[in-house]
Amino acid sequence: MKLKLAALALLASANVSASECGSVTIADMNWSSASLIANVDKFILENAYGCDAELIPGDTMPTTTSMIEKGQPDIAPEIWANSVKEAVDAGVKEGRLVFAGPSLIDGGEEGFWVPKYMVEQYPELKTIEGVKKHAALFKHPENKDVSGFYGCPAGWGCQISASNLFTALKLADANFELIDPGSAAGLSGSIAKSYERKEAWFGYYWAPTAILGKYEMVKVDFGAEVNEAEYFGCTTIEGCESPKVTSYPASPVFTVTSTEFSKKNQPVMEYLEKRGFKNSDMNKLLAWMEQEQADSEDAMFYFFENYPTVWKSWLSTEAAEKVAAAL
Amino acid sequence: MADSSWLYSFPEMERSSLRAIRKTLDGAYKEFSREYGDLIESIFDPLLSFLIWFEKLLLSTPWWIVLLLCTGLVYVASRSVKLAVACFVSLLLIGYFGMWEDTMRTLSIITVCTFLAIAIGIPIGIAMARSNRVQSVVTPMLDIMQTMPAFVYLIPVVMLLGIGKIPGLIAVIIYAIPPVIRLTNLGIRLVDKEVLEAATAFGSSPWQRLTGVQLPLAMPTIMAGINQTIMMALSMVVIASMIGVKGLGQPVLKSITNQYFTLGLLNGFAIVALAILFDRASQAYAKRTQAHLGDQKHD
Repeated sequence: MKLKLAALALLASANVSASECGSVTIADMNWSSASLIANVDKFILENAYGCDAELIPGDTMPTTTSMIEKGQPDIAPEIWANSVKEAVDAGVKEGRLVFAGPSLIDGGEEGFWVPKYMVEQYPELKTIEGVKKHAALFKHPENKDVSGFYGCPAGWGCQISASNLFTALKLADANFELIDPGSAAGLSGSIAKSYERKEAWFGYYWAPTAILGKYEMVKVDFGAEVNEAEYFGCTTIEGCESPKVTSYPASPVFTVTSTEFSKKNQPVMEYLEKRGFKNSDMNKLLAWMEQEQADSEDAMFYFFENYPTVWKSWLSTEAAEKVAAAL
Repeated sequence: MADSSWLYSFPEMERSSLRAIRKTLDGAYKEFSREYGDLIESIFDPLLSFLIWFEKLLLSTPWWIVLLLCTGLVYVASRSVKLAVACFVSLLLIGYFGMWEDTMRTLSIITVCTFLAIAIGIPIGIAMARSNRVQSVVTPMLDIMQTMPAFVYLIPVVMLLGIGKIPGLIAVIIYAIPPVIRLTNLGIRLVDKEVLEAATAFGSSPWQRLTGVQLPLAMPTIMAGINQTIMMALSMVVIASMIGVKGLGQPVLKSITNQYFTLGLLNGFAIVALAILFDRASQAYAKRTQAHLGDQKHD
């Protein structure tokens, strides 16, 4: 009887509060950090704002396209603006998308990386000149005559920037060949394989990620400052004729929502504007996930338990209490 | 209340012990790949160099020689002018739309995969047909191979062998080999018992019975299996390209992530064209060589 009453009360309260915020769809991207943020958002939206939140599996390109064309899902918690710059900018200009705030405060870090154990052996590998000098170390998996550089998976935004930088850095002259790993899983698989066997590896990757949290890699210095004009005017443009060398600028990583949603749900938008993770926290969370083989829901509870000051700073006292009560 | 909680929610294993199992198994696999990865890689080295050699051969041969060779092969196999013309035209179109290199890459890996699948599959099928015990062991394995999502075994294979052709080839063969095994088994089992008795009565040895009676009579069914294998191998092209196999799969992947529908469709059609050519040519060949079987055919 008690149970029934409780269930009824729960149902009733859910109904009442759900009507304030309504149903919300959150894109659950297929990589760990975004999935963790999506789970945190879902929990907070459900418990502090009474939303009826639902996670929708997604990936950068399909999700942004769907948000621009259909206004669904409502929230994409981690969009790497550089990788889908054109689409997102067009969406914002047309008034279909809204940037809610940074989801990774420090921004994402892209670059060309080599494993740390290689740099210990050959300190010169810290710079691109050193990598070119030791090109013979980086064996191509299928062609013994050339060296291999693992690029970004086909169709991703970073494929364009990585291949333009490959040209700009004249890696082909140093006998490197660009390898298309096919998918993120293929790329991280190749890192894991090399790292486990202490083999040579040189390629594109980005942080914060579980892979870079777990396998210590050194970012190769291109010997050039960040040149934003060059980066956005050429490096990220497909078919740019003569790309020049520039370091990767920190990529802004945003929470993006559909305009319709942002107009209807002011309190939620306020939360989303404040909600942002530091890279150091995110790296630790991702490393914990990887080490414990936890899924993003486990990691969400771990985060709520261990980082109360972080999430409480995003919420009003009242909302924070509601979340704490639901834990 | 607490005592009967298992009535409401499934009595699950402790999360921590499940995690411990997962961590131990993953750790053991990593240990294994560290220990034996190089050895296993070196076993596959000859196959890899053959694959690379074959791909380079197809790529470096002038296009019109490959075109004429393919058309000629299709004609010799099928003796059908119509099919040969269709092959000629579709290859011309593929080249005209700028997909020649990718098509050659796909052609090379699929040809090798198909021949390997047949070479491995038919003996297994024969063994299954001869022994019920083998059949009861192999059948569930085939079920696993056909239904297990490819990525489940792809990434472990990548950890063992790196990205590229060999893991792609393994994935394609795992997915494409079951039909030829199943239908070889079925075909041999369907051979009339009385025909076999007659063969035995004439004093034929088991080997003679197999090669002279069972296999020829099962051939139409086996050919159906081979056709299915070819089709399934081609359908794996996109999955294989997700671990860095070059070919028609890569533009397909690129176009689906960027939503270039036309590019995706064009490359998809190139895969379909290859599949139809392979299929029609091999079927016509089979039909022609089995014409003497008359109404024995059941296709």
